[in-house]
Parts: sequence; C-alpha cells; structure tokens
Amino acid sequence: MKFLNRLRKFPFLAWLWFLLGALYFVLPLLATFEFSLSWDPAVPFKAYQRAFEDVRFWRSFIASNVFAVITIIACIILVVPTAYWIRLRLPQARRIVEFITLMPFVVPAIILVFGLIRVYSTPFTIPFTNIVFMQALTQFKAGTNILIVAGYMVLAMPYMYRSVDTGMRTVDILTLTEAAQSLGASWFVIITRVILPNIRSALLSGALLTFAIVVGEVILASFLGVNAFGPYLFLLGQHRAYEPAALSFVSFLLTWIAMGMIQLVTGGQNQTAGGH
Amino acid sequence: MSYLSISNVTKQFGDTVVVDNFNLEIGKGEFVSFLGPSGCGKTTTLRMVAGFENPTSGKILLDGADITDKAPNQRNVGMIFQSYALFPNMTVAQNIGFGLKVRKEADAVVKQRVSEMISLINLEAHANKYPYQLSGGQQQRVSLARALAIRPQVLLLDEPLSALDAKIRVSLRSEIRSIQKSLGITAIFVTHDQEEALSISDRIVVMNAGEMEQVGTPFEIYNFPKTRFVANFVGSLNTADAEVVDTAKGLVSVDGVQFTSAEGTKGRNKGDKVKVAIRPERFSFATQQHKDNVVDAIIENITFLGSVVRIQIKIGNTSFNMDTFNNPFLELPKIGSKQQVTCSKEAVLVLDE
Repeated sequence: MKFLNRLRKFPFLAWLWFLLGALYFVLPLLATFEFSLSWDPAVPFKAYQRAFEDVRFWRSFIASNVFAVITIIACIILVVPTAYWIRLRLPQARRIVEFITLMPFVVPAIILVFGLIRVYSTPFTIPFTNIVFMQALTQFKAGTNILIVAGYMVLAMPYMYRSVDTGMRTVDILTLTEAAQSLGASWFVIITRVILPNIRSALLSGALLTFAIVVGEVILASFLGVNAFGPYLFLLGQHRAYEPAALSFVSFLLTWIAMGMIQLVTGGQNQTAGGH
Repeated sequence: MSYLSISNVTKQFGDTVVVDNFNLEIGKGEFVSFLGPSGCGKTTTLRMVAGFENPTSGKILLDGADITDKAPNQRNVGMIFQSYALFPNMTVAQNIGFGLKVRKEADAVVKQRVSEMISLINLEAHANKYPYQLSGGQQQRVSLARALAIRPQVLLLDEPLSALDAKIRVSLRSEIRSIQKSLGITAIFVTHDQEEALSISDRIVVMNAGEMEQVGTPFEIYNFPKTRFVANFVGSLNTADAEVVDTAKGLVSVDGVQFTSAEGTKGRNKGDKVKVAIRPERFSFATQQHKDNVVDAIIENITFLGSVVRIQIKIGNTSFNMDTFNNPFLELPKIGSKQQVTCSKEAVLVLDE
C-alpha cells in the first residue's frame, strides 16, 4: 500500500523530461567520444595521442589560454568598477548599460571583426596634420593581439557584466561601501577588500564563461590571422576525422570541470553571504 | 563648549527641502538622539555629519575644525547602520580590525585593540566566526566594536536597534549607553522610537518635516513639550478643543468643563480657541484631598495593557484616556459608572489650536 502511494507521488513526467534533456546533451557527446576511440581498435586513444603530439595544438591552445586570461583580467578591470559605480551612484544609467552589454548578441562577430579591421588597419594621425600618433594595429603582432583581446572583451561583456551585476545585487553594496568609508577606507581599498571578495563567485562564473568563449572562438581569430585554438580546431576538422573529435571531447571535459569549479566556489560563498 | 557644531545646515534634493536651517551644538561626551517620524530629516542630518551627504548650505564643525566638505573617510567618525553592514567575507576579529588596518596601524596595535573591543562587547568566543554565524544582536555589537575600534571623535548610530526583536533592543540599548558613557564618546543616535530616545539620551532633538521642533532633556521633552507635534509624538497624549475662559487664573473650558493650567494662558485672550493636552497617566481618580481640576467623568471602557490599565473616560462630550498602574488589588470602576477624576494644574498643557 505504502509502495503504491509512493509510486503515485513519483513525478514521472518531470523525470521523463529530465531524461529526454539529458539524452539530448549526452548522446552527441558519447557518440563523439566513441568515434574518437574508433580510429585504431588496437590503440583506443590514438586520436588523443596524435592530437597532443601536434605542436600546433599546444601553440594554439596556449595562445588561446593566454588571451583568455588577459581578456578576463581586462574585463574585470573594466566591468567591476563600472557595475559598482552604476549601482552606487548612477542607477538611472543601468538600463542603458544593460542595453549596451547586450549588443554582442545583436551584432554578429563577423561584423565586429570587419569593423575592427576597417578602423584599425590605417594609422591614426593628429587631425589636420600628417603626424602619426598610432600605427595601424593590424600591421604588427602586438597590435593584432590588442585588437583580438578587445574583440573578445566585447563578446564576453554580456556574460561578465551580468554575472558581476547579479553578484552585486546579492550584497548591500551601498551600506558596505559607506561602512568601509566611515572606517577610513579609500575607493581602491573598498573595491579590492570589500566588494571583490564578496562577489567572487559571480566573478568566477563570469570569468569561466569568458574563458569558454575565448578558447572556442573562431571568427575573430581567423579574420585577424591569429593562431588560436578555435581556428586550429576548425582547420583540423577540415582535413582530419578523429583528432577533432578527440579535442572536442577534451574541450567538453574542460568546460564541465570549469562548471564544477563554479558550483564548488559558489556553494562556499552562498554560505558566507547567507546570514548577511 | 561645543564639540560638534551643526550651523544653519540645509539640505535640498531638487526642490524638496529635507533639512531646513538645522542648528545644534553638542558637547563632548554627550549622547544626543534625533527623534522624529519617517521622512523628518533625521537620517539625512546624520548622514551629513558622516559625510555621505553634502549640505546645500551651512557648516559642520568638529572640535573646531570645519568638516563640511571633507570626504567620509577623512572625518574620523564611526557609524553604525540599521543593517549592521558587517563585511560578510571577514570574521568578527577581521571586521573589527578593518578600520585599523586601513589606517596602517602596526599589527601589534591592531591585535591589542581588536582584543579589547571583543572583550568590550563580550564576544570572545566568537572572534573567528563569520557574520552569518551570529545572531542579529551579536552582529550589531560587532558593528559597534568595529566603529569604536578606530577611536572616532563622534559615534553615529542610524536606527541601530530597529532590526532587532524587542528584548534584545532593550538590552542592547543599555549596553550601547553604558559603553558610550564608559568611553566618554560623543554620540548621535537616530530613532523613530520615542521610548528608545527617552531611555538612552542626554538630550533629544525632536524633528518634524525637516525642522527642529524642540531640543531638550528627555524629562523636558516629555513633561514640557513646546509644540503640539512634540506633545503628540512623544508619549501618549489626550488632546481636546478648548476655549480660554480666564487668562489671569489660567482657566480653559472643554465642553463647559473647566480646567486650570499652571502654565496659564499667557499671551491669549478670553474666548480664544486652543487645544488642551493632558497625558493619560496624569489623570487619577479623585479623593477628598484633591482640590484642583476635579471633574465628573463617565467610564466608557477599560483595557488591560499588562503593567498599565487604560481607562477610557468621557468628560463633557470628549473622550480621554486615563492610565493607572496595574496591581492585583486594583479596584476598577464599572463601565458606564460616573466617577470623579482629577489632574494637577501642571498636567494641563495649553497649545495652539
């Protein structure tokens, strides 16, 4: 009787939808994994071995990781004070800034990269003179790197801004700021020792999303001629079958590890902020 | 001599005047409360002293130095907030030491002062806990210790007890007062709770619509309110329409029933319309010894309020409340019965209509 009662209460429909959803995400991944192992039945991880042996893989992978880290740091420097100031002093500007941060969803990356190339492929001169004060950024490697990081920052902005803004919503920014000010803290101390530690999970989730976007990005890197991981994977897919599958699976795995890290860190902070 | 001087301070937000020509001199070690209803400008005045708002005009001097335009972090003013405002990422000890570290005090000084402050608020066992692990009362005590650790010249308390339950409010307000007295620190306490202000302050500033209504000791504010607003806002008060009958004797008439007022009816003329105000606890049942203001009343209702019994009486056509202390042998009159009640001449306040 008890068993029947429990059975009646079991949420079959909810579980059915969950399983369908899980299959939708897991099946392609399993298929990719299975395919990546099928190159040589005698050496199951041959595709992985080959992929990791390729020096271009490491070069592009490291380059993308470096770009990702620089983009994350630059985004934090730009977004945290902006979101903080808007919450603190300019709440009326919030809608405008939110609209601006949504622009990367509306403007495709291809338009962005052509815009960047068009604007920064000619030297900048002081108006009404021929004096060049900045070389065309597309003409030298460091300049292109600056451009690609700037482009990545634009692409990552919606994720980073929203993460930070949501993080700030969970703590009473205004009162904490005033409390710190009354204790003699400067703006720098307030941001670095009071605000940042209290939004660290939001920062981490924004950072990991930015990381995922930068590492997998193809269009900006291709058009700016940067040897990043995205174009490498794309090119590899054009000529090889098994290695791209192996690297795709590795990418998925890295993303999942990153998401697990978010869960771990967020869980810890929820407890810290919970009693506030 | 005044330690904190707020001179002709006005604060406007757009066209709205929130604080209008506020003047107050506070002595060193004094505990002053700003009391008033929501929106009366008390918190804005406090925030101007803290530096979180800039006055539209006027000056604020602290120990002779003009701090009107100084940034909040340059003022050496401690602040306690209603929401505690403890830093969630720091432990109790780290919260208390924050201001000292910001001031680049030596580690030994920070350690010693933090330890002193933790003992002062009796939270030795909780030094390494995070704010979320403490109760509201404990968090507010940490907030107090954190504000005091920097040895501020003035301590500002912005409704610090409002978020706490009734029992903790009473115990914490005594604790705040005793710590303030023992350290001899100048303090401004903002509250809308008259009982809090009356019990804790050296002086009370009653505010209404951005203006100061009255400044005085709790005794003066309660017993000798200068305006109708103060009389109404502080404590319970019976008010009734009245008419001046005899200016020399201080006689006023409420529905034909005459009351004598000790303060008299100076500056008024016979026949002037006024308001008579009498606190409920100033009424009592008349005995043969009573001579002044003995009037007939009908008992309309009796309400038991614990330590006090509130009796609603009708004098003429006007209802008044009369409070009497509860005791197990109290003989209460029957509802509808006719009794003689009295109040002293000093209890009868004559206010403008």
